[in-house]
Amino acid sequence: MSNATLRKTLLSIAVAGAATLAQADVNIGVAGPFTGANAAFGKQLWEGAKKAAADINAAGGIDGEKINLIKADDACEPKQALSVANRLVDSDDVVAVVGHFCSSSSIPASNVYADAGVLMVNPASTSPILTDRGLPNVFRVCGRDDQQGDVAASYIVDTLKAKRVAIINDKTTYGKGLADAMKKTLNGYGVKEVMYEGLTRGEKDFNALVTKIRSVNADLVYFGGLHSEAGPLVRQLRDQGSKAIFMSGDGIVSDEFVTVAGGAKYVNGVYMTFGANPTSYPAGKAVVKEFRDSGYEPEGYTLYAYTAMQVVAESLAKTNLDPVEAATWLHSHSVNTVMGKKTFDKKGDLTVSDYVMYKWDDKGKYHQLD
Amino acid sequence: MDIVLQQLVNGLTLGSVYGLIAIGYTMVYGIIGMINFAHGDVYMVSAYLTAIAIALLTFFGVQSFPFILIGTLIFTIIVTGAYGWVIERVAYRPLRNSSRLSVLISAIGMSLILQNYVQLSQGPNQQGVPTLLSGAIRFHVGDGFVQITYMKILILLIAFAGMGVLTYIIQKTKLGRMCRATQQDRKMASILGIDTDKVISSVFVIGSSMAALAGVLVTLDYGSFDFYIGFIMGIKAFTAAVLGGIGSLPGAMLGGIILGLSESLFAGLISSDYKDVFSFSLLVLILIIRPSGLLGKPAVEKV
Amino acid sequence: MTQTDISYKKSGTDAIIAALMALVVFGPIMGIVLNGYQFKLSFDRVFVIVAIVFVGRFLMSTFFQTHRGKMMAFRYTNNNDGVTVLPPNHKSQMVWIIPLVMVIGLLVPFIASKYVLTIVILGLIYVLLGLGLNIVVGLAGLLDLGFVGFYAIGAYGLALGYNHLGLGFWSMLPIAAILAACAGAILGFPVLRMHGDYLAIVTLGFGEIIRLVLTNWQSFTHGPNGITAPAPTLFGLEFKRRSAHGETFHEFFNVPYDSAHKYMFVYLVLFVVVWAVLFIKHRLVKMPIGRAWEALREDEIACRSLGLNHVLVKLSAFMMGAAIAGIAGVFFATYQGFINPTSFTFFESALILAIVVLGGMGSTVGVVIAAFCLTVLPELLREVAQYRILLFGILMVVMMIWKPRGLVRVTRRGFARKEGVVK
Repeated sequence: MSNATLRKTLLSIAVAGAATLAQADVNIGVAGPFTGANAAFGKQLWEGAKKAAADINAAGGIDGEKINLIKADDACEPKQALSVANRLVDSDDVVAVVGHFCSSSSIPASNVYADAGVLMVNPASTSPILTDRGLPNVFRVCGRDDQQGDVAASYIVDTLKAKRVAIINDKTTYGKGLADAMKKTLNGYGVKEVMYEGLTRGEKDFNALVTKIRSVNADLVYFGGLHSEAGPLVRQLRDQGSKAIFMSGDGIVSDEFVTVAGGAKYVNGVYMTFGANPTSYPAGKAVVKEFRDSGYEPEGYTLYAYTAMQVVAESLAKTNLDPVEAATWLHSHSVNTVMGKKTFDKKGDLTVSDYVMYKWDDKGKYHQLD
Repeated sequence: MDIVLQQLVNGLTLGSVYGLIAIGYTMVYGIIGMINFAHGDVYMVSAYLTAIAIALLTFFGVQSFPFILIGTLIFTIIVTGAYGWVIERVAYRPLRNSSRLSVLISAIGMSLILQNYVQLSQGPNQQGVPTLLSGAIRFHVGDGFVQITYMKILILLIAFAGMGVLTYIIQKTKLGRMCRATQQDRKMASILGIDTDKVISSVFVIGSSMAALAGVLVTLDYGSFDFYIGFIMGIKAFTAAVLGGIGSLPGAMLGGIILGLSESLFAGLISSDYKDVFSFSLLVLILIIRPSGLLGKPAVEKV
Repeated sequence: MTQTDISYKKSGTDAIIAALMALVVFGPIMGIVLNGYQFKLSFDRVFVIVAIVFVGRFLMSTFFQTHRGKMMAFRYTNNNDGVTVLPPNHKSQMVWIIPLVMVIGLLVPFIASKYVLTIVILGLIYVLLGLGLNIVVGLAGLLDLGFVGFYAIGAYGLALGYNHLGLGFWSMLPIAAILAACAGAILGFPVLRMHGDYLAIVTLGFGEIIRLVLTNWQSFTHGPNGITAPAPTLFGLEFKRRSAHGETFHEFFNVPYDSAHKYMFVYLVLFVVVWAVLFIKHRLVKMPIGRAWEALREDEIACRSLGLNHVLVKLSAFMMGAAIAGIAGVFFATYQGFINPTSFTFFESALILAIVVLGGMGSTVGVVIAAFCLTVLPELLREVAQYRILLFGILMVVMMIWKPRGLVRVTRRGFARKEGVVK
């Protein structure tokens, strides 16, 4: 008897005896970088998933079963991602996973989940490769790099009318993917970038690069990467007297962006693409308020992780906790979440890209542009 | 032309920071022949201490920049010096008579400890300090301009002042003489009544203080840091130390500046993707021509 | 030494000094937590850690004043003897251990769960890496901090050979070894003039250069996006659910598909390769070339005076080590199925070096034990998730202080004229 059938049998027994017997918990993995350089994002995923699980459990759980979260640290290393994925599948008997964060971890891990028939709902990896390989069990509640590139590029061409665009990336799967998508769409609009280069993650001195940006007279700098590098980059750009517009993707969505840039005056006027404001949905507003009341600011991917957990719970509830059927179910049904109604296409991507432009103001807050 | 000049300024400031950190590597190597891999993380700790000091000082109402700078420097240098002392005492002294590789592994372990200890204590977030000194001088060159922030000028001034003080200590004071004696022959020095353990401890404290100086300056300038910055900075500074000739103080500064300049010029004029490849290739090239670095003493082989 | 006077006053002073130092060191970082440009106080944990330091230092100080403590300290400062030489006619009591390990090793894939199996595979890959670096560092005494470069060449060799040339696992296994050896030779030539620590930084630079090229040469390596690597085949049978060309393993043998089959197969092949490398290394050490490595490590000048070609000897060690790392890289790529440059950072080199030093320089058994410890340990520590790497670092330091010469001492059989040999 294979693990899956064994689990199914056990589950049917459990469901049969549901009225009287104590419940077996349903294990769901939360995988992400809880240590290492990206630990801040891991924390966002964990807080979001934890809150979602608590809320679902408070409302009676999935089919009456309580969610039991299992934290799996991959430190954003593919090697560790593979080994935690095997561990989640093998030792912890998870039916679904919310994670991972880095695309480079999500891709190898998704193979393991696909083999084991475990549902994977990804809250944060935007690399197109993740879903393009056609694995049946992989979904994501965030957008794709190319969708993000589309939104940003059309804004650059139509609204900002920038002619000389410098594209910088941080040479990670995420940042490079974003920069490539931008380059491709921009070229599609007939705009050729004046510069396309990478910087090294973990460094803080980008003065040489900034001088080079100045030397090509860029009027817009598009950065594919995270706020840890975007902050110093925009600051050094301004310190060297460049007035180029700065634009980036969802990797800088964090109040820390202001902190690392050295104050609100540096981030003033920075554009970015990000999912439509979750507080615009009634359900989202309530959850955000609860987060804030508990002393945690639900920034960045927190709500994405919350949404991913809701998608997992909803699909499992509809299919008697069978992850394989849940995946099939998700391909043809939509789920109501704190971030609105989510519908998935054949590959497991969202059918509607919810990326919109945001702009940072002189008080260090970001606002959605109409 | 303006671009090349700007890149030279960039390279010089970056290089002087590399040089300050390289001093820690080169002094420790000179005296006990070990590569102190935790040194980059000591620099990282000093960045945190800088932010803490600034937060404390502004909390107590200190507003003027010179007072904040001096207060932060004193606080950071003392505490970082303490880190240097404790690390040597705990992780390296028990291994004084073991093979150099054991100490190396211990140092790598120490580096992991520091990174994760800071991450656990301060959270994994990116941290930053507010901009305290803004403004810049702008020189017009041709139809372009070179812009140098006051902070960059301050970095250069303080870095070279720090180097000057250190050179004075090593060349003129009693402690400096003891350091040099220990470096030349530890056994002989101890026979002559020098407490070599104390000397080694003070070398760690001095090296850490220089890293702290760099930490304060860089943190004030770039404004941001996390628990991971020590790694890259450490490798770069170590490269600088080797480039200049490990064990030689002026060599560390020279190596730092060469490394900073070559990185800036290569990144600015050719490609920032391959700037680190270029610096490492430069290092290999220099070592092939001069196997002991630029200012290092050639190793004497006994026959 | 007959009477032990314990001065509690001394212990007390020691403890107070240590506690004060702990207060200075831990106070700011642990007590004042940055929060944006403000801070929060959390001095409670500072007091806890200062108290721990105080008590710990007091007990330690007291213990080292007792008779046993003094004995321990004395033994500690004097345990610097080198290789243990066994008598010439020494018969090991442990002859049964090799067959036992072999049998257990062969049984592992059939009893272990997939998760355990993947950890064991990773452990074996590190055994290979450790053995390779052991030749370079342990035997030839060349400090190599860029060993991960050869590992990357092996791994990327498989992935790129598969994607660009259509080569599979079996053809790439020897090719990758040769490629890595060539890279070792290219690096080796300029490096051989240099002394100990200059060598360290040059090799470190080499490792970084390899990684940076892999990251930046987009058109060839796919850069940070990574690249897929093929699974091994058994006489052309693939370990996949469905195959584009021909039959798959589970179809041929008519068994239900199980992703563990791939890992089992990788494990068995790897197991054989590790034994082969162990055997080769065991023989090499006794051959003239192995003796030359060690002799060169001990005294280069003496060796050169005796007519040893030091360039050739060093180069051969470098190339041997590199070739083994290349093989390990191929296994890593095939095991993982997807590789990108983040797997080949300096930390990896440091880890491999830690395996060699922790295992006891030059000791084969030690390397095997240490490799398993260092790969299994982080997995065991998953229970304490966020303290994982911190504990790992602490263990590294503590292990070095406790056993600076590694877990297993190198032993060597002594020589004597054999009976009956014509004199």
